[in-house]
Amino acid sequence: MATEKEQELLEKLANGVVNYDEEAVKEAAQEWLALGLDPNKAVFDGLVKGMQECGRLYEEQEYFVPELLMCADALYAGLDILRPHMKSEDVGVRGQVVMGVVQGDVHDIGKNLVKVMFEAAGFTVHDLGRDVPLEKFVEEQLRTDSEIVALSAMMTTTMVGMKNIIKAIKEKNPKAKIMIGGAPVTEDIAAKFGADGYAKDASNALKDAINMISSLRDLT
Amino acid sequence: MERGFELMTMTSRERVLGLFEGKEVDRIACYSGMGNVTTAALEQLGYRFPEIHGDAQKMAAAGASSYHLFGYECAVIPWDMCVEAEALGCVMNAYEDVAHLLYPTIKEKIIHAPEDMSKVTIPPDYPERGRFPVVMEALGAIKKEIGNEVAVGTWLLGPFTLAGQIMDLNDLFKLVFKKPAEVNALLDTLADGLIMVAKKYKEAGADYITIREMGAPTDVLSPRSFKQVIKPHLEKIFSQIDSPKILHICGDTNLIIGMMNECGADAISVETKNDLVKSREVIGPEPLLFGKIDGYNVLVNGTPEDVERAVLESIEGGVDAVWPACDIWPTAPLSNLRAMVETVKKYGAEKWARKNR
Ligand code: B12
Repeated sequence: MATEKEQELLEKLANGVVNYDEEAVKEAAQEWLALGLDPNKAVFDGLVKGMQECGRLYEEQEYFVPELLMCADALYAGLDILRPHMKSEDVGVRGQVVMGVVQGDVHDIGKNLVKVMFEAAGFTVHDLGRDVPLEKFVEEQLRTDSEIVALSAMMTTTMVGMKNIIKAIKEKNPKAKIMIGGAPVTEDIAAKFGADGYAKDASNALKDAINMISSLRDLT
Repeated sequence: MERGFELMTMTSRERVLGLFEGKEVDRIACYSGMGNVTTAALEQLGYRFPEIHGDAQKMAAAGASSYHLFGYECAVIPWDMCVEAEALGCVMNAYEDVAHLLYPTIKEKIIHAPEDMSKVTIPPDYPERGRFPVVMEALGAIKKEIGNEVAVGTWLLGPFTLAGQIMDLNDLFKLVFKKPAEVNALLDTLADGLIMVAKKYKEAGADYITIREMGAPTDVLSPRSFKQVIKPHLEKIFSQIDSPKILHICGDTNLIIGMMNECGADAISVETKNDLVKSREVIGPEPLLFGKIDGYNVLVNGTPEDVERAVLESIEGGVDAVWPACDIWPTAPLSNLRAMVETVKKYGAEKWARKNR
């Protein structure tokens, strides 16, 4: 059971994220550590809980993209303080993801939201940005040995480029899991292109990624 | 009788421009304020997509092609959204050596930190920089070739979308909250530049101009932000450029349609996601509303029957011109594009709400 003080700080963390108040988040995180409390709890019952509320507000069209990016910054401010104090087994590093928008496509708003969800949930994200040439994805996957590669495309012609990226990555590293998304992508297309997963939005993308990682770990 | 005869022999040009002038026209026109070149045309002309953005002659030929090929009632250039940013010093990528069709993007921006926002100024010779002269030369050439038959159109980005080209859009989004005064100052500066260019485009031969603020739908920005950082600058632009002038926004626009209507444009154009009936409920029957044929899912992937259905849905939704929802995706088959034009010809008088009031 959380004490009253703990409860107060967890709320301050969550509200700080929702109200994109970086200062409040930093203060609460520092106070939490000063009290010698478990940083893992602050992340998952404070920061991440706040971010989930932001996701709800976004779905209700109360919050929009800029608001979410501001909330994410508040979340990162808290993570920066808390993460170094987490024991490695609880850091919650669920895995590594290489992420980017494919060549010829600058639409990166959706990808950035997916990234926020992944980082909040404890993934290490190697973000290649937008307009990323095919080879970059292959190289980055090999360099980081990431379990997952997440590709985003918002235009139909750029989406077609995903097929070659998937092929190239699978050739070099058949174990890598690939998920794709973006408005023109569908379940069918993902299957046709040989991707391991598809999600229509950021929260489903996260669920899929967690499943992928657990299935990989079950194998080893 | 005589007036009826006049209406029957109307040219596309008279039909398109007459509506803005408040004249009686025979039917709804089928045209666009945005890119509509086809790969079919490019093949005929022997051009590759990357070549037509920087060569006035090729731009003009490609710009006139949709009128020639499927009777589209306009000729519109350019196709890429890098012209305004390039003239401010950004570097564009036309993907010359990529085999499949890609739209140009900006590869080098000019604002890298919030402090850089206040350093942006509009050079006095802005309309003579970058590819603006190419667009103007092409406008003149098109005007000369088919300007008596069709209306010649061009477009410029809205200031917010332009800002997203010259700096990282993520940063811009956050700065809207963190430094609203600085963002508004930048957008005001960019608006001045766009006004200068719009005037030159008109002189060069453009009959109408569309301002595309495509980075500002409610898929992205809140109505609150629209009111604070989008609307004031659009109002300024529309109060200072000549008619006809149209405001286009992609994506979801139902929550902001009322504000779009207050920006001072002569018409508003919306994307497929807009519910036209709901829009009319907000803005009423009077304002000119254009839209909203999906330029990819219907015009590329659909059948001619799907196209006909989409055209009817737009007309019955109360549009005053059948426009695509955004650029027509170049691989759209001519059979679909012809079906679009033919359906508008067939039903554009009979089912036009404005005509039958
Ligand atoms: C905003 C916008 C822009 C902005 C983009 C800014 C940026 N940095 O991202 C600007 C103004 C720059 C822009 C430019 C262009 N655009 Co645009 N744009 C849009 C618009 C209006 C909204 C897209 C958006 O951000 N939505 C909000 C986000 C949150 O949603 P999302 O991206 O879908 O992401 C969610 C999911 O898809 C999913 N997801 C996303 N990525 C991933 C990845 C993985 C792995 C997973 C699992 C899930 C996932 O999760 C996300 C969050 O829930 C759409 C219209 C529309 N109806 O979608 C057009 C649209 C995408 N654009 C279009 C076009 C044509 C262009 C241009 C080519 C125009 C031009 N003439 O140059 C240029 C692109 C140039 C280039 N080469 O890239 C067309 C594409 C048509 C097609 N063929 O499919 C659209 C569909 C408009 C239309 N109706 O025709 N655009």
